[in-house]
Amino acid sequence: MDPIVTFENVTKSYGTFLAVEDLNLEIERGKFVTLLGPSGCGKSTTLRMLGGFEVPNSGRIMLSGKDVTRVPPNKRNVNIVFQDYALFPHLSVARNIAFGLELKGHDKKQIHRRVSELLELVQLQEFAHRIPAELSGGQRQRVALMRALAPDPDVLLLDEPLSALDAKLRQQMQMELKSIQKTTGKTFLFVTHDQEEALTMSDQIVVMNKGKIEQMGDPTALYSQPSSTFVANFIGETNLLRSKVQSVNGDLTAVDWQGITVKAGPGALLPQPGDSINVVLRPESIKCSLSEPSTTNKAKGRIRQRVFKGNHTSLMIEVANGAVLNALVHPSDIAQIGDQDIWVGWNTDSTTLIPDKHAAE
Amino acid sequence: MRNLVPDFPRAALTAFYWAFLFYLLLPLTLMMALSFKDANFVSFPIGNLTLDWYAKVIQDKQFLEACLYSIGIAAASTLAATIIGTWIAMLIVAEGIRWQVVIFALAVLPAVVPGMISAISLRIFISTIDMPTGTGAIILGHTVHSVPFVVVMALTRLRSMPKNMVDAARDLGADNIVAFLRVTLPYLAPALFGGMMFCVLLSIDDFVRTFFLGGYRATLPMLIFAKVQGGMSPEINAMATLVLVVTTSFGLYAEFITRRARTR
Repeated sequence: MDPIVTFENVTKSYGTFLAVEDLNLEIERGKFVTLLGPSGCGKSTTLRMLGGFEVPNSGRIMLSGKDVTRVPPNKRNVNIVFQDYALFPHLSVARNIAFGLELKGHDKKQIHRRVSELLELVQLQEFAHRIPAELSGGQRQRVALMRALAPDPDVLLLDEPLSALDAKLRQQMQMELKSIQKTTGKTFLFVTHDQEEALTMSDQIVVMNKGKIEQMGDPTALYSQPSSTFVANFIGETNLLRSKVQSVNGDLTAVDWQGITVKAGPGALLPQPGDSINVVLRPESIKCSLSEPSTTNKAKGRIRQRVFKGNHTSLMIEVANGAVLNALVHPSDIAQIGDQDIWVGWNTDSTTLIPDKHAAE
Repeated sequence: MRNLVPDFPRAALTAFYWAFLFYLLLPLTLMMALSFKDANFVSFPIGNLTLDWYAKVIQDKQFLEACLYSIGIAAASTLAATIIGTWIAMLIVAEGIRWQVVIFALAVLPAVVPGMISAISLRIFISTIDMPTGTGAIILGHTVHSVPFVVVMALTRLRSMPKNMVDAARDLGADNIVAFLRVTLPYLAPALFGGMMFCVLLSIDDFVRTFFLGGYRATLPMLIFAKVQGGMSPEINAMATLVLVVTTSFGLYAEFITRRARTR
């Protein structure tokens, strides 16, 4: 299928600062795609380049098969939902939403129909004649979203639109955004630094770091198969076991983790004996027990700290080789465990191997 | 423990405030009171009251003409100052930090130059370029004086405007001019309205510049000045009272409108 947006070798710098470096990215039609990364990683610059507010130093941006690299924002068919919403304070909700349609020269009847249709989609019909100052944060957010959707853009760009909302409302809006994306079938390009947000809503996540794409894939793949320490650390919580490869046997790699032999599952790379390597072990994959477990990997250890979080308990476990593991367990699973020696265990399929960047450099 | 000593600083502040208010209002009150005096000279006691002076004033062709002339000049100079001032404010926010300071400093210069100096220099200037004194010259002088106030008010408002708002308009299909007319200008409106009211009052009130730049037609302050030269009479009090009441209510109304618009 033809991608709706293509970045070809796009580079953007501000003075000596390289915001985006040689970016190649294809966005599929009708997908919810998220650009995820820490601040300064180039995700917002990428979005603003597609919006037309920044012009790349080199490379090409294609939108629906047309080169839009140098097309001004008002002449390209994408719309942005801004971080602070940027609603027009002097216009009513309905007039805000109608703004783009009026400029496109639609007739009054058409505009009225489209505006009521959109207001209905977010259940704001009775707020049509209010001005933005009379709305709550969540309502403003919805109006900004509908204003950007109204002119029927090829791609809807969302620049951290949920960051101003409180936690509860943010979760609710995540669901709402996802469902609006599904009902409208629009391509959404969402920018955030919040990995949880990205995991919740996206069909495809593009992790960016220092102006480059670090890894892309669907949320499950990114979480279970991170390809670098950056991605492993950025998405979810992670234990990184710094190890040396002992032997390779098909998909199974035996590594020496500071004196403990660990068998690890497949990763994207082909390790050689003697290589330095990191094993990614997610905290929720670790099981704790008093008796020796039947898992592929096991080690003796002691619980050094436990934090009760309601639906789970977060543990800091000191393992026999001196390393510390973070684990998430169900509170009832460790109800019987005190300060005595315990077993920790995990299975091979819950781990993945990534290269040790420090060793490679 | 409660403070048993009276709160002297606070009492002093309050007392000074009332003293100031008294000092401010007493002359005005006297002026207004004497405008109702049923006699030809200005002095106490007032004695009999009359509205004759007011009747005389509003039938006075000279007064009405001066009013109209002042209003016309105020309207023209305000319009010009608003356009120029907004233009400069837009330029300032678009420039880099270093130029911002320079442009701003130059733009507000007319507000700090003493009226006398500005009046004399303008007078020399218009005779150098062979421009006649009179209406055009007065409007020019008033405009120069008013621009800084528009710049300051427009700039304050522009700085509080979310930068993304213009981007949003552009994003939705507006070119720069449409974005200015449909988003920036309405956003600026309360500040501009306040600035315009201020310009009108400045212009109506101006004496020095008008005196140096004016021709044979008298503006309101010039007319009152001429009348005072001919000796005080309750008629002048009535005239001044009318001007005071109209301009004050005008100013209060403007303040009310801008305040309401700004809180939205």
